[in-house]
Amino acid sequence: MLRIRWFLVICIVLAILLPLTAQTSTSALQPTEELQPGFSGAFDLVHRAEAAGATHEEVTGLVLLLNKALQLDEEATRPSTSEAQRATLLAQANETLGRVETEATRLEVTASQRTFTNRAVAYVIGGIAAFLATLAYLCTGYVWRKYRIKRTFQMRIFPKVK
Amino acid sequence: MFSQSRRNLLVVFLTLLVIFETVAYVTTTPRPREQFFQLYVLGANRLLSDYYPNDDPNIGVGDLVRWHVGVTDFMGSVQLVVIRIKLGNQTIRPPDDLQAQPSPAPLITEFWRFIQDNETWEIPFFWQVVNADALGGSTRILEMQINNETYHVPGLNALDGHNFRVILELWTWEPQSETLQFGWSSGNERRVAWVQVWFNMTSTVRQ
Repeated sequence: MLRIRWFLVICIVLAILLPLTAQTSTSALQPTEELQPGFSGAFDLVHRAEAAGATHEEVTGLVLLLNKALQLDEEATRPSTSEAQRATLLAQANETLGRVETEATRLEVTASQRTFTNRAVAYVIGGIAAFLATLAYLCTGYVWRKYRIKRTFQMRIFPKVK
Repeated sequence: MFSQSRRNLLVVFLTLLVIFETVAYVTTTPRPREQFFQLYVLGANRLLSDYYPNDDPNIGVGDLVRWHVGVTDFMGSVQLVVIRIKLGNQTIRPPDDLQAQPSPAPLITEFWRFIQDNETWEIPFFWQVVNADALGGSTRILEMQINNETYHVPGLNALDGHNFRVILELWTWEPQSETLQFGWSSGNERRVAWVQVWFNMTSTVRQ
C-alpha cells in the first residue's frame, strides 16, 4: 500500500517537473530561432504592400524603419543594457513597428488602387488601339480600292503591234 | 444581316483587339523569374584575394582578419536574412546542400537584416582569435572577437591547429511558417547558400 502511494507521489512530481524542464530547454533557443510578434506582422504587411504593386522607392522607407526596429531590438537584448534602457528601447522598437504597419497598410491601399488604374488604362488603351487600327485598315482598304479604280480608268487600249 | 465587308471588318477588329489586349496583359503582369540569394565573402580590399594577413593562412592569436560579407536579394520581394557565423574544424560536418541541413558547428554570432529586392547588404567582418590554447598536440580556440565584440567559443579544437574553418550560412525568415530556415524556398524547392574559409593556427598559441 505504502509502495503504491510513493509511486503515485513520484508520478505526480514527474508530471509537474517534466513540462517545466521541457519549457526551459525550448526557451533557450528563442533568441535566435524566433522573431518578436510585432516584426512578423509588420513584415507581412510590407509583403502585402509589395504584392499590391508598391514601387521599390516606396518600400525603401519601410525597410529602413524595419531595420531601425531590428537594431533597437538587438540593442535591447544585449546583456550590457540595463532594465530601464531595455524598456525604452523596446518601446521605441514597438513604436517604429507601429509606424511600419500604418505606412504599409496605407501603401497597400494606394498601390492596389494605382495597379488597378494602370491595368484598366492599359486594357482601355488596347481597345482604343484595336479600334484605331481597324479604322486604319478600313481607310487603307478604301484608299487602295480608289487607287485601283483610278488605275483601271487610266488604262489605255493600244492595238497590238504585229 | 451583316454584309461580307462588315463581317470582315468585325473579324479584323476582334483579331486586333485580342492582339492589343494580350500586349496590355503582358506589360501589366509581372513576369515570374528565378528566385535566389547571392552570398559572398571578399578579402581585405573587397576583392577575391587578401583573405589572410600577409597572405598567410596560418593565423596567430591577435591577428586581425579583414573580410567583407555580402548578401544580394533576387527573391523579388523584401526578405529578412540572417548570416550565421560558425566555427568548424576538419571533422565537423559542413552544411548539406541536398538535404538543406545546416552545419552542426558551434554558432559564434549572427547578423540580422531586412533587405529589398535587388539590394546588396555588405558588412565588414573583421575577426581575430583572442584566446586559444594548445594541449597535447591539439589547439583549441576559446574566444573570438568579431567586429569588436568578444564571443566565447564552445570547445572546438583541431589537431596541431590545422584546418579550422569559418562557416557562413544564409538563413531566411519564412513568413508562412513564421520560422527561421536555413536557405530559402523557391517554388517547391529548398535552396541553400553557404561559404567556408579555412585557416590554420599552428603558431603563437600558449601551451
